[in-house]
Amino acid sequence: MAHDSHDSHEYIPEIAVDRNGKEHVVQGWQGDTYGGKLGFWLFMLTEVMMFGSMFMVLSYYFTLHHQDFINASAGLDRVLGGINTVVLLISALTMGLGLLRMRSGDVKGAKLMIWATMLLALIFLGVKAVEWTNDYKEGIFLGLQALQSGNEHSLPFGEILYFGMYFTMTGLHGFHIIIGIGLMLWLLKRINSGKVTPEHNILHFNIALYWDLVHLIWVFVFPYFYMIGAGGAIHG
Amino acid sequence: MANHTTVDYKAEKGGYYKVLFGLLALTALTFIQPSMFLTHYTFGMQMLIGTVKAWIILMYYMHLKGEVLIGWTVIFAVFLVVFFFAIVMIDVNNFQFADVSHITSPAQ
Amino acid sequence: MSKSYFDETHCAFGHPKSTFMQWMLTIDHKRIGIMYAVVMFTFFFVAVAAALTMRFELFAPGQQFIDAHTFNQAFTLHGVIMVFLFIIPGIPAVFGNIVMPLMIGAKDVSFPRLNWFTFWLYIIGCIVALSSLFNFNIADGKLVFNFADTGWTFYAPYSLNTDTNVVTTLVAAFILGMASILTGLNFLVTIHRLRAPGMDFFKMPLFVWGIYATAWIQLLATPVVGITLVLALLEKYFGIGIFDPAKGGDPVLFQHLFWIYSHPAVYLMILPAFGIMSELMPAFSRREIFGYRTIALSSASIAGVGYLVWGHHLFTSGMSDTAKTIFSFLTFFVAIPTGIKFYDWVATMYKGKIVFSTPMLWALGTMITFAIGGLSGVTIAMIGSDIHLQDTYYTIAHFHYAMLGGVVFLFFAGIHYWFPLVFGKMYSEAKAKLAFYILFVGFNLLWFPMFIAGYLGMPRRYFDYLPEFQIYHQISFWGAIIFVTGLIFMFYVLIQGIRKGKPSGVNPWNATTLEWHLPSSPPPLENHTKVPYVDFRPYEYHHGQPVVKFDENMKRID
Repeated sequence: MAHDSHDSHEYIPEIAVDRNGKEHVVQGWQGDTYGGKLGFWLFMLTEVMMFGSMFMVLSYYFTLHHQDFINASAGLDRVLGGINTVVLLISALTMGLGLLRMRSGDVKGAKLMIWATMLLALIFLGVKAVEWTNDYKEGIFLGLQALQSGNEHSLPFGEILYFGMYFTMTGLHGFHIIIGIGLMLWLLKRINSGKVTPEHNILHFNIALYWDLVHLIWVFVFPYFYMIGAGGAIHG
Repeated sequence: MANHTTVDYKAEKGGYYKVLFGLLALTALTFIQPSMFLTHYTFGMQMLIGTVKAWIILMYYMHLKGEVLIGWTVIFAVFLVVFFFAIVMIDVNNFQFADVSHITSPAQ
Repeated sequence: MSKSYFDETHCAFGHPKSTFMQWMLTIDHKRIGIMYAVVMFTFFFVAVAAALTMRFELFAPGQQFIDAHTFNQAFTLHGVIMVFLFIIPGIPAVFGNIVMPLMIGAKDVSFPRLNWFTFWLYIIGCIVALSSLFNFNIADGKLVFNFADTGWTFYAPYSLNTDTNVVTTLVAAFILGMASILTGLNFLVTIHRLRAPGMDFFKMPLFVWGIYATAWIQLLATPVVGITLVLALLEKYFGIGIFDPAKGGDPVLFQHLFWIYSHPAVYLMILPAFGIMSELMPAFSRREIFGYRTIALSSASIAGVGYLVWGHHLFTSGMSDTAKTIFSFLTFFVAIPTGIKFYDWVATMYKGKIVFSTPMLWALGTMITFAIGGLSGVTIAMIGSDIHLQDTYYTIAHFHYAMLGGVVFLFFAGIHYWFPLVFGKMYSEAKAKLAFYILFVGFNLLWFPMFIAGYLGMPRRYFDYLPEFQIYHQISFWGAIIFVTGLIFMFYVLIQGIRKGKPSGVNPWNATTLEWHLPSSPPPLENHTKVPYVDFRPYEYHHGQPVVKFDENMKRID
């Protein structure tokens, strides 16, 4: 994926002529903005399938170990989780505004918004790191005794599975945030080299979509892990 | 090929802010629900609020409103996930060996 | 579009002068397809060798050549290579790449550079898979064969506890899965965006419909197995517990997740093959296909309904009876669109003028073998009979009749059909037909006895067996020898065709679809000289002759 498809501005589409002499433009693979959008949406559908499967695993064990899940959820830090939710929400706004600025011709403003989004993403990761560190200090982390079976610190089955999936899903989500930061840095580079412009910005559009997807995943991850035990472990 | 001709930033940004406040309000709802209303259905309510948020994000932030082909592909993918969910949940909710399985009734 | 423009833009980056580097960096769909074919069939023969090793061992009860552990590794190797390195990339990677864009009048796929990247991702996956064969023992400097012994299905909890190289194999499968996803994505956008003007969905050739339906499965089903493999790795290394009963995890969940992908995967395999059949039927019956719309829609419905039936692999796993019933019903249901296709193909042949060229011979042979494969599948869609036949040789016979006798036979048919397109030469027709007969006889001798052995209780993946089953293993053994002989002979005929075959001309079969209306064979880099306006159906014949004719400048002259 080395070059933007709008590199070769010499592309001239072919014309096909029907039997009545009417001309039809042949859609080529170059310069196909809608194709770029469609392709990226299809890629995002694979992420939906992937995270959807993980939610399915989560629900499977929520069914088998219902009360354990609620108890484990009650112990999560809803303040930190809530901060992250708001941070990510605002970052979705800044990303969207950045795209809007780009399309309206304000390239400088667009770049500012992208930097703002990256900053918020880093804050998100920072808060997550604090959460994970706190969990580790309480002895709840992958590889520690609480999450292994058969020892005196072992948590009940459902709680082991809950935390196993908690670290997996928030970990994978965080990994996607890191990728998002990388994509935004790359986007800035492409803007600076003039490859992404107010007229040709499908890359910016797609990266904004990606960021919205990352936010969308959190929209479900957050209540599932943090809120099901929120009413003080009332039957959820 | 350009997506649109020049877009009017000032006119469009209002929409973005509206969505933001809607999402913030729903987030607040998420926090108060477990102790305020329908508390015995927390899981269902949380997922419902999440779904509404997701809908708004998809339609407005991700510009899905007005996209026909892409809209149908999203529906297809979501339908598949829902189907997988439904059948696997039916299976696990009808688990026939709950009394004797180590997973659900470990012998102490 | 000048030739130099294409020469310069047809590499992922740079302007290499050497032919070798031009191929290594090529973004041209035709070259990528050929490279896939070379790599895939090399691995195919490695997997055949693994299978032949097993057949030798199983000729008589007791141990003769390899021990039980090595036997387990042999069937795992056979399965992993055949499924992940050969048949899942399969027809889409080769003919989807080479032929599909030609059939819709496109110059390439929608994302040619992604196509290049995807090919090399596939190669990386193959290399990782190869690296899982051996461990290098630093202590005595020896290479130890330590391939996974879990079966290609990697069921938990055994796959998580075994010392063999399961992890590297899972990583390889993940990478190969990503390649499959990206291929599907590329083809979906290509088919939606790059069809020639006037070619709406119901004017596309049926092979394109097959690739389209397949691409949907590649795109949406593969991520599920991708994440399953990741979860299995996390379980193995971080003990997250989801497949470990000692922590309250459920191994049956692994089976659910695994088969949610792997069942649609078999439709991913057969749909392009059915697409090839739908191309061969009109061309070699010299008349329009019967029921174009129903065949097209049946491809779509097989892809759709195929997502819903995975539980029939879990009938004996401890799944709930409710779920079993639902899956059995849906599995019967999914057989219907395939049946519709078969009837349509037979109806196409009715009152046609059948041409018994090699591709048609393969197609007809497949109709017999796939019918057996598909119908035997229906017999085990019944829960009651499946309890008895699950994990026996009956199952093995079923899926080999379907995958080998369906997918691979049609793959061979496609090779013989599009051979002149790709190479501009023809193989020896008489020798190719002989190869077919040898393969057909060998195939049935090899696999049919297994239906009986399985019915009588011979379990699958077993290193040893009771003496009463020996006769079936012996017949299968000789069938395998004949089959492998046929394979070697068939490839010999094809390679001789490449080296010394007679020039074939551009349209030796006098077929109608657009890939036969190129200025030369092999085709030029730029594909069609001019993209035509498509206001005609893909299989228009009148009295055995194509209706639509083009001159060298793609002007209509009919």
